[in-house]
Amino acid sequence: MSDYQLNKLLFEAARRHRIVETLADEADLAGYELTAEERAALARGDIEALYRLGANPYLIRRVFRPRFPV
Amino acid sequence: MGAIVAGCLTSHAPNITARPVIDDPAQRRRFLDALEVMRRRLAEARPDVVVVFANDHLQNFFYDAMPAFCVGVADRYAAPSAGGAEFLRIPARQAAGARAWSEALLHAALEAGFDVAYSQELEFWDDVSLPLHFLVPDGVPIAPVLVNCVAPPLPVPRRCHALGAFVRSFAEGRPAGERVAVIGSGGISHWIGMPGHGRINPAFDRLVLDWIAEGRLDLLVELTAERIERDAGNGGQELRNWIAALGALPVKGEVLAYEAVREWLTGCGAVWLAP
Repeated sequence: MSDYQLNKLLFEAARRHRIVETLADEADLAGYELTAEERAALARGDIEALYRLGANPYLIRRVFRPRFPV
Repeated sequence: MGAIVAGCLTSHAPNITARPVIDDPAQRRRFLDALEVMRRRLAEARPDVVVVFANDHLQNFFYDAMPAFCVGVADRYAAPSAGGAEFLRIPARQAAGARAWSEALLHAALEAGFDVAYSQELEFWDDVSLPLHFLVPDGVPIAPVLVNCVAPPLPVPRRCHALGAFVRSFAEGRPAGERVAVIGSGGISHWIGMPGHGRINPAFDRLVLDWIAEGRLDLLVELTAERIERDAGNGGQELRNWIAALGALPVKGEVLAYEAVREWLTGCGAVWLAP
């Protein structure tokens, strides 16, 4: 049930109106139980991989907004 | 006794206000003109309460406890909140809540077997703030009814319609006799944050608008989550809010505008519902 943790991270970032290209700092990731694959996708700002890993698309859009062409 | 005196269906999208400059300014003008027509008509209907069927975008609710339906029962709502105002580029404001009316609705809904959740604090983004900004007369309190359209599994359209129909019977039975307007906020097609992001499907949107113009609620409530996801994207799931509003005011809609606006990532519809 790790995608819960991934979504929790994105939910809490969105609540703070964080808008980023990547999420790799330990300060951002601390406290969330993430898989290596999830960490890698966050570090790359890989919106397609995040979707595949179960991140809610609205949260991906909100936090990784600069990654989208429109 | 109370009455439903007016209804509006409108799309919402942050970029409607955040990105006003678009390639084809006529699209923006046609859509906003339609909202202005609805704003005037809504004011002429002199509502005492405006019920807004809308959806959270995961700013209030999370997967720890995800309500299918949630009635707001607060004195006021941040609509938009300060953070929301920043990305919507409209002023932050505290919107008055019709708390007593909403609390009565909550009790009546539970009595009638609609096991809705309730919330005493809600923060709104484009979902409720844009309809407020464009449509609701100043000072008229709102009664938000939130429908889960973003975190599947979602309530089925038929149940959304039934909840809307219940709101109608509740409003009509109110001894205080409030005049109630309803707004359905969301849709039509849009793909957000997923493969196909930015896609709009005008053919499906036109079909839905035709159904609404013909009063074919029977077809709308038969829509499945799978069909909507395929033909209207994840954003199309917000049609539930329109279906709920149509449950509260089951009339043939007057389609005032439809614009597939690339920069707003949304097939934008505006429909007036006259009682």
